Amino acid sequence: MMYDKDTGMIDRILSMFTTVQNEGHGSVLLVFLIGIIFGSIIQYTRVHKFEKIAGFSMLKDTVVPKMLFLAIGLASIGLYFMIEAGWASYHLKPITLGGLIIGGTLFGIAMAIFGKCPGTGPVSVAEGRIDIMVGSIGGIFGGLVFTVYYDQFKTIMGPNLGKLSLTQYFEGHESLTVLIFGLVLIAISIAIPLIEETDDKDPGYQE
Amino acid sequence: MIKRIPWWLGGILMALLLLFTFSVFGANRPIGASTYVPYFAGIIFDLDPQKYTYLKEIHNPGSWEGVLLLGVLVGAFLNAIFVTKTFGWTIVPAAWKKYKNDSAVSRLVWSFVAGFLLIIGARLAGGCTSGHFLSGMTQTAFSSMIFGAVVMGALIVTGKLFYKERK
Repeated sequence: MMYDKDTGMIDRILSMFTTVQNEGHGSVLLVFLIGIIFGSIIQYTRVHKFEKIAGFSMLKDTVVPKMLFLAIGLASIGLYFMIEAGWASYHLKPITLGGLIIGGTLFGIAMAIFGKCPGTGPVSVAEGRIDIMVGSIGGIFGGLVFTVYYDQFKTIMGPNLGKLSLTQYFEGHESLTVLIFGLVLIAISIAIPLIEETDDKDPGYQE
Repeated sequence: MIKRIPWWLGGILMALLLLFTFSVFGANRPIGASTYVPYFAGIIFDLDPQKYTYLKEIHNPGSWEGVLLLGVLVGAFLNAIFVTKTFGWTIVPAAWKKYKNDSAVSRLVWSFVAGFLLIIGARLAGGCTSGHFLSGMTQTAFSSMIFGAVVMGALIVTGKLFYKERK
Protein backbone atom coordinates (compact mmCIF):
# COMPACT_ATOMS: atom_id res chain seq x y z
CA MET A 1 0.00 0.00 0.00
CA MET A 2 1.37 3.39 -0.97
CA TYR A 3 0.14 6.54 0.71
CA ASP A 4 -1.37 9.62 -0.93
CA LYS A 5 0.59 12.76 -1.57
CA ASP A 6 -0.74 14.89 1.25
CA THR A 7 -0.58 12.47 4.16
CA GLY A 8 1.06 13.74 7.34
CA MET A 9 3.64 12.17 9.58
CA ILE A 10 1.09 10.44 11.83
CA ASP A 11 -0.61 8.83 8.83
CA ARG A 12 2.70 7.63 7.51
CA ILE A 13 3.62 6.06 10.84
CA LEU A 14 0.21 4.37 10.98
CA SER A 15 0.77 3.19 7.42
CA MET A 16 3.96 1.47 8.63
CA PHE A 17 1.86 -0.77 10.89
CA THR A 18 -0.82 -1.52 8.29
CA THR A 19 1.86 -2.31 5.69
CA VAL A 20 3.46 -4.86 8.02
CA GLN A 21 0.09 -6.29 9.08
CA ASN A 22 -0.93 -6.80 5.41
CA GLU A 23 2.43 -7.85 4.00
CA GLY A 24 2.39 -11.44 5.25
CA HIS A 25 5.82 -11.40 6.96
CA GLY A 26 4.42 -11.85 10.43
CA SER A 27 1.91 -9.74 12.35
CA VAL A 28 2.91 -6.40 13.85
CA LEU A 29 3.01 -8.06 17.27
CA LEU A 30 5.28 -10.87 16.06
CA VAL A 31 7.72 -8.49 14.35
CA PHE A 32 7.73 -6.33 17.48
CA LEU A 33 8.52 -9.43 19.58
CA ILE A 34 11.32 -10.45 17.20
CA GLY A 35 12.70 -6.94 17.75
CA ILE A 36 12.54 -7.31 21.54
CA ILE A 37 14.35 -10.67 21.44
CA PHE A 38 16.91 -9.44 18.87
CA GLY A 39 17.69 -6.39 21.02
CA SER A 40 17.78 -8.46 24.22
CA ILE A 41 20.30 -10.96 22.82
CA ILE A 42 22.52 -8.03 21.81
CA GLN A 43 22.05 -6.34 25.16
CA TYR A 44 22.63 -9.39 27.38
CA THR A 45 25.83 -10.29 25.53
CA ARG A 46 26.91 -6.59 25.66
CA VAL A 47 28.03 -6.75 22.00
CA HIS A 48 26.55 -3.29 21.42
CA LYS A 49 29.09 -1.74 23.79
CA PHE A 50 31.69 0.60 22.30
CA GLU A 51 34.32 -1.50 24.09
CA LYS A 52 33.22 -4.62 22.16
CA ILE A 53 33.00 -3.19 18.62
CA ALA A 54 35.72 -0.50 18.68
CA GLY A 55 37.64 -2.98 20.87
CA PHE A 56 37.40 -5.55 18.08
CA SER A 57 38.71 -2.99 15.57
CA MET A 58 41.80 -2.67 17.80
CA LEU A 59 41.89 -6.47 18.24
CA LYS A 60 41.50 -6.01 21.98
CA ASP A 61 38.10 -7.70 22.18
CA THR A 62 36.89 -10.77 20.33
CA VAL A 63 33.37 -11.30 21.66
CA VAL A 64 31.77 -9.83 18.50
CA PRO A 65 33.49 -12.10 15.92
CA LYS A 66 33.16 -15.16 18.16
CA MET A 67 29.43 -14.66 18.56
CA LEU A 68 28.85 -13.67 14.90
CA PHE A 69 30.69 -16.68 13.48
CA LEU A 70 28.99 -19.09 15.88
CA ALA A 71 25.54 -17.71 15.03
CA ILE A 72 26.18 -17.86 11.27
CA GLY A 73 27.76 -21.33 11.43
CA LEU A 74 24.82 -22.82 13.32
CA ALA A 75 22.13 -20.95 11.41
CA SER A 76 23.57 -21.74 7.96
CA ILE A 77 23.32 -25.49 8.59
CA GLY A 78 19.86 -25.14 10.13
CA LEU A 79 18.56 -22.89 7.37
CA TYR A 80 19.70 -25.21 4.58
CA PHE A 81 17.76 -28.13 6.01
CA MET A 82 14.76 -25.92 6.73
CA ILE A 83 14.72 -24.81 3.08
CA GLU A 84 14.98 -28.46 1.99
CA ALA A 85 11.99 -29.25 4.18
CA GLY A 86 10.02 -26.38 2.60
CA TRP A 87 9.93 -24.36 5.85
CA ALA A 88 11.91 -21.38 4.52
CA SER A 89 13.28 -19.95 1.30
CA TYR A 90 16.32 -18.04 0.05
CA HIS A 91 16.34 -14.24 0.12
CA LEU A 92 19.74 -13.60 -1.46
CA LYS A 93 21.16 -10.13 -1.96
CA PRO A 94 22.70 -9.49 -5.40
CA ILE A 95 26.46 -9.14 -5.91
CA THR A 96 26.57 -5.41 -6.66
CA LEU A 97 30.35 -5.26 -6.66
CA GLY A 98 30.89 -1.48 -6.49
CA GLY A 99 28.30 -1.02 -3.77
CA LEU A 100 29.65 -3.90 -1.70
CA ILE A 101 33.27 -2.70 -1.85
CA ILE A 102 32.71 1.06 -1.48
CA GLY A 103 29.81 0.59 0.94
CA GLY A 104 31.63 -2.09 2.94
CA THR A 105 34.72 0.13 3.27
CA LEU A 106 32.69 3.12 4.50
CA PHE A 107 30.72 0.84 6.80
CA GLY A 108 33.87 -0.71 8.32
CA ILE A 109 35.53 2.68 8.89
CA ALA A 110 32.37 4.09 10.45
CA MET A 111 31.79 1.01 12.61
CA ALA A 112 35.30 1.26 14.11
CA ILE A 113 34.89 4.97 14.96
CA PHE A 114 31.23 4.85 16.05
CA GLY A 115 31.61 1.53 17.87
CA LYS A 116 28.11 0.57 16.70
CA CYS A 117 26.28 -0.77 13.69
CA PRO A 118 22.66 -0.05 12.71
CA GLY A 119 21.37 -3.04 14.72
CA THR A 120 23.34 -2.42 17.92
CA GLY A 121 23.05 1.41 17.94
CA PRO A 122 19.36 1.44 18.98
CA VAL A 123 20.16 -0.69 22.07
CA SER A 124 22.67 1.96 23.16
CA VAL A 125 20.17 4.74 22.45
CA ALA A 126 17.68 2.94 24.70
CA GLU A 127 20.36 2.81 27.43
CA GLY A 128 20.76 6.59 27.32
CA ARG A 129 24.00 6.96 25.36
CA ILE A 130 23.99 10.56 24.13
CA ASP A 131 26.87 10.07 21.65
CA ILE A 132 24.88 7.33 19.92
CA MET A 133 21.77 9.51 19.79
CA VAL A 134 23.84 12.17 18.01
CA GLY A 135 25.29 9.49 15.71
CA SER A 136 21.76 8.29 14.93
CA ILE A 137 20.86 11.81 13.81
CA GLY A 138 23.92 11.63 11.55
CA GLY A 139 22.53 8.32 10.29
CA ILE A 140 19.13 9.87 9.54
CA PHE A 141 20.94 12.52 7.47
CA GLY A 142 22.85 9.72 5.74
CA GLY A 143 19.50 8.09 4.90
CA LEU A 144 18.20 11.43 3.62
CA VAL A 145 21.23 12.05 1.38
CA PHE A 146 21.11 8.50 0.04
CA THR A 147 17.40 8.79 -0.75
CA VAL A 148 17.68 12.18 -2.46
CA TYR A 149 20.80 11.29 -4.50
CA TYR A 150 19.85 7.64 -5.11
CA ASP A 151 20.26 7.96 -8.89
CA GLN A 152 23.83 9.26 -8.46
CA PHE A 153 24.72 6.61 -5.86
CA LYS A 154 23.36 3.92 -8.17
CA THR A 155 26.04 4.72 -10.77
CA ILE A 156 28.81 3.49 -8.42
CA MET A 157 26.94 0.43 -7.12
CA GLY A 158 27.42 -1.79 -10.15
CA PRO A 159 28.29 -4.07 -11.82
CA ASN A 160 25.51 -6.39 -10.67
CA LEU A 161 26.79 -9.95 -10.97
CA GLY A 162 23.49 -11.43 -9.90
CA LYS A 163 22.50 -13.52 -6.92
CA LEU A 164 24.70 -16.47 -6.10
CA SER A 165 25.36 -18.56 -3.00
CA LEU A 166 28.04 -21.08 -2.14
CA THR A 167 25.49 -23.90 -2.12
CA GLN A 168 24.28 -22.94 -5.61
CA TYR A 169 27.86 -22.78 -6.85
CA PHE A 170 28.55 -26.34 -5.68
CA GLU A 171 25.35 -27.68 -7.18
CA GLY A 172 24.86 -31.36 -6.53
CA HIS A 173 26.88 -31.21 -3.29
CA GLU A 174 24.72 -28.70 -1.44
CA SER A 175 24.40 -30.49 1.88
CA LEU A 176 28.13 -31.29 2.05
CA THR A 177 28.97 -27.68 1.12
CA VAL A 178 26.76 -26.18 3.79
CA LEU A 179 27.98 -28.63 6.43
CA ILE A 180 31.62 -27.75 5.71
CA PHE A 181 30.79 -24.01 5.60
CA GLY A 182 28.91 -24.16 8.90
CA LEU A 183 31.42 -26.34 10.71
CA VAL A 184 34.39 -24.22 9.55
CA LEU A 185 32.68 -21.08 10.88
CA ILE A 186 31.89 -22.78 14.20
CA ALA A 187 35.53 -23.96 14.41
CA ILE A 188 36.78 -20.40 13.69
CA SER A 189 34.45 -19.05 16.36
CA ILE A 190 35.83 -21.48 18.95
CA ALA A 191 39.44 -21.05 17.81
CA ILE A 192 39.48 -17.23 18.14
CA PRO A 193 40.95 -16.61 21.61
CA LEU A 194 38.54 -14.87 23.99
CA ILE A 195 39.87 -11.44 24.91
CA GLU A 196 37.81 -8.67 26.41
CA GLU A 197 38.01 -4.90 26.70
CA THR A 198 35.80 -3.92 29.61
CA ASP A 199 33.96 -0.87 30.86
CA ASP A 200 34.28 -0.90 34.66
CA LYS A 201 31.17 1.24 35.08
CA ASP A 202 28.98 -1.21 33.19
CA PRO A 203 27.00 -3.37 35.64
CA GLY A 204 27.03 -6.17 33.09
CA TYR A 205 30.71 -6.69 33.82
CA GLN A 206 30.35 -6.81 37.58
CA GLU A 207 29.71 -10.43 38.37
CA MET B 1 18.45 -11.61 37.86
CA ILE B 2 20.82 -12.47 35.03
CA LYS B 3 22.53 -9.34 33.77
CA ARG B 4 24.77 -10.89 31.19
CA ILE B 5 25.00 -14.05 29.08
CA PRO B 6 28.20 -15.51 27.56
CA TRP B 7 29.00 -15.09 23.86
CA TRP B 8 28.30 -18.76 23.02
CA LEU B 9 24.82 -18.63 24.48
CA GLY B 10 24.23 -15.38 22.59
CA GLY B 11 25.43 -17.05 19.39
CA ILE B 12 23.10 -20.01 19.85
CA LEU B 13 20.12 -17.79 20.68
CA MET B 14 20.86 -15.51 17.71
CA ALA B 15 21.01 -18.56 15.40
CA LEU B 16 17.64 -19.75 16.72
CA LEU B 17 16.09 -16.31 16.27
CA LEU B 18 17.43 -16.08 12.70
CA LEU B 19 16.01 -19.51 11.87
CA PHE B 20 12.64 -18.68 13.41
CA THR B 21 12.48 -15.37 11.51
CA PHE B 22 13.45 -17.07 8.22
CA SER B 23 10.87 -19.83 8.70
CA VAL B 24 7.30 -19.80 7.44
CA PHE B 25 6.25 -20.16 11.10
CA GLY B 26 7.95 -16.85 11.81
CA ALA B 27 8.27 -14.01 9.31
CA ASN B 28 9.46 -15.91 6.19
CA ARG B 29 12.16 -13.29 5.64
CA PRO B 30 15.65 -12.38 6.89
CA ILE B 31 16.38 -9.95 9.72
CA GLY B 32 17.68 -6.59 8.50
CA ALA B 33 18.44 -3.47 10.47
CA SER B 34 19.54 -0.60 8.23
CA THR B 35 16.69 0.00 5.76
CA TYR B 36 14.60 1.53 8.54
CA VAL B 37 16.95 4.54 8.65
CA PRO B 38 16.20 6.01 5.17
CA TYR B 39 12.58 4.90 5.71
CA PHE B 40 12.35 7.08 8.83
CA ALA B 41 14.36 9.84 7.12
CA GLY B 42 11.62 9.90 4.47
CA ILE B 43 8.96 10.30 7.15
CA ILE B 44 10.86 12.87 9.24
CA PHE B 45 11.79 15.08 6.27
CA ASP B 46 8.38 14.53 4.70
CA LEU B 47 9.78 13.30 1.38
CA ASP B 48 7.14 12.37 -1.16
CA PRO B 49 7.37 8.60 -1.80
CA GLN B 50 5.90 9.15 -5.28
CA LYS B 51 8.86 11.34 -6.17
CA TYR B 52 11.75 9.37 -4.67
CA THR B 53 12.27 5.95 -6.24
CA TYR B 54 14.31 4.74 -3.29
CA LEU B 55 11.44 5.33 -0.85
CA LYS B 56 9.16 3.35 -3.14
CA GLU B 57 11.65 0.47 -3.25
CA ILE B 58 12.08 0.29 0.52
CA HIS B 59 8.46 0.88 1.50
CA ASN B 60 7.79 -2.72 2.58
CA PRO B 61 11.16 -3.70 4.10
CA GLY B 62 11.41 -0.24 5.70
CA SER B 63 8.05 -0.71 7.40
CA TRP B 64 8.97 -4.20 8.62
CA GLU B 65 12.26 -3.01 10.05
CA GLY B 66 10.58 0.06 11.53
CA VAL B 67 8.38 -2.19 13.68
CA LEU B 68 11.40 -4.38 14.53
CA LEU B 69 13.29 -1.26 15.62
CA LEU B 70 10.44 -0.23 17.93
CA GLY B 71 10.68 -3.66 19.56
CA VAL B 72 14.45 -3.25 19.99
CA LEU B 73 14.07 0.22 21.53
CA VAL B 74 11.22 -0.68 23.90
CA GLY B 75 12.77 -4.02 24.92
CA ALA B 76 16.25 -2.60 25.47
CA PHE B 77 14.88 0.36 27.46
CA LEU B 78 12.85 -1.89 29.78
CA ASN B 79 15.79 -4.29 30.18
CA ALA B 80 18.13 -1.39 30.93
CA ILE B 81 15.82 -0.03 33.63
CA PHE B 82 14.61 -3.22 35.29
CA VAL B 83 17.05 -6.04 34.52
CA THR B 84 20.55 -5.13 33.38
CA LYS B 85 20.43 -1.72 35.19
CA THR B 86 22.58 -0.29 32.42
CA PHE B 87 20.61 2.91 31.81
CA GLY B 88 22.66 6.08 32.18
CA TRP B 89 23.12 9.36 30.32
CA THR B 90 26.71 9.25 29.12
CA ILE B 91 28.61 10.83 26.26
CA VAL B 92 32.16 9.48 26.15
CA PRO B 93 32.60 5.67 26.30
CA ALA B 94 35.27 4.24 28.64
CA ALA B 95 37.42 2.86 25.83
CA TRP B 96 37.23 6.17 23.89
CA LYS B 97 38.82 7.82 26.96
CA LYS B 98 41.42 5.08 27.12
CA TYR B 99 42.37 5.03 23.42
CA LYS B 100 41.32 8.44 21.98
CA ASN B 101 40.60 11.45 24.20
CA ASP B 102 38.43 12.80 27.03
CA SER B 103 36.63 15.35 24.88
CA ALA B 104 32.84 15.14 24.65
CA VAL B 105 32.87 17.44 21.61
CA SER B 106 35.32 15.18 19.80
CA ARG B 107 33.24 12.09 20.58
CA LEU B 108 29.99 13.76 19.46
CA VAL B 109 31.41 15.14 16.20
CA TRP B 110 32.99 11.80 15.30
CA SER B 111 29.76 9.98 16.21
CA PHE B 112 27.73 12.21 13.91
CA VAL B 113 30.16 11.77 11.02
CA ALA B 114 30.46 8.01 11.58
CA GLY B 115 26.68 7.60 11.91
CA PHE B 116 26.27 9.40 8.59
CA LEU B 117 28.90 7.25 6.81
CA LEU B 118 27.58 4.06 8.42
CA ILE B 119 24.18 4.46 6.77
CA ILE B 120 25.57 5.61 3.40
CA GLY B 121 27.84 2.54 3.47
CA ALA B 122 25.09 0.13 4.47
CA ARG B 123 22.70 1.39 1.81
CA LEU B 124 25.38 1.30 -0.91
CA ALA B 125 26.14 -2.31 0.02
CA GLY B 126 22.46 -3.20 0.43
CA GLY B 127 22.78 -4.40 4.01
CA CYS B 128 24.56 -4.19 7.34
CA THR B 129 25.78 -6.48 10.10
CA SER B 130 22.27 -7.95 10.35
CA GLY B 131 21.15 -8.14 6.73
CA HIS B 132 24.48 -9.11 5.20
CA PHE B 133 26.62 -10.62 7.94
CA LEU B 134 24.01 -12.55 9.93
CA SER B 135 21.21 -13.18 7.44
CA GLY B 136 23.23 -13.17 4.21
CA MET B 137 26.08 -15.40 5.29
CA THR B 138 23.56 -17.78 6.85
CA GLN B 139 22.34 -18.30 3.26
CA THR B 140 26.00 -18.70 2.14
CA ALA B 141 25.51 -15.68 -0.17
CA PHE B 142 28.63 -14.50 -2.01
CA SER B 143 27.49 -10.87 -1.77
CA SER B 144 27.49 -11.10 2.02
CA MET B 145 30.88 -12.81 2.16
CA ILE B 146 32.38 -10.00 0.04
CA PHE B 147 30.72 -7.43 2.32
CA GLY B 148 31.92 -9.26 5.44
CA ALA B 149 35.53 -9.45 4.24
CA VAL B 150 35.65 -5.77 3.17
CA VAL B 151 34.04 -4.58 6.43
CA MET B 152 36.39 -6.62 8.63
CA GLY B 153 39.41 -5.32 6.68
CA ALA B 154 38.32 -1.66 6.85
CA LEU B 155 37.33 -2.05 10.53
CA ILE B 156 40.69 -3.41 11.61
CA VAL B 157 42.76 -0.96 9.53
CA THR B 158 40.71 1.94 10.97
CA GLY B 159 41.08 0.56 14.50
CA LYS B 160 44.84 0.46 14.03
CA LEU B 161 45.09 4.02 12.62
CA PHE B 162 42.39 5.81 14.59
CA TYR B 163 43.10 4.66 18.16
CA LYS B 164 46.20 4.34 20.25
CA GLU B 165 46.81 3.61 23.91
CA ARG B 166 47.13 6.85 25.91
CA LYS B 167 49.80 7.07 28.55
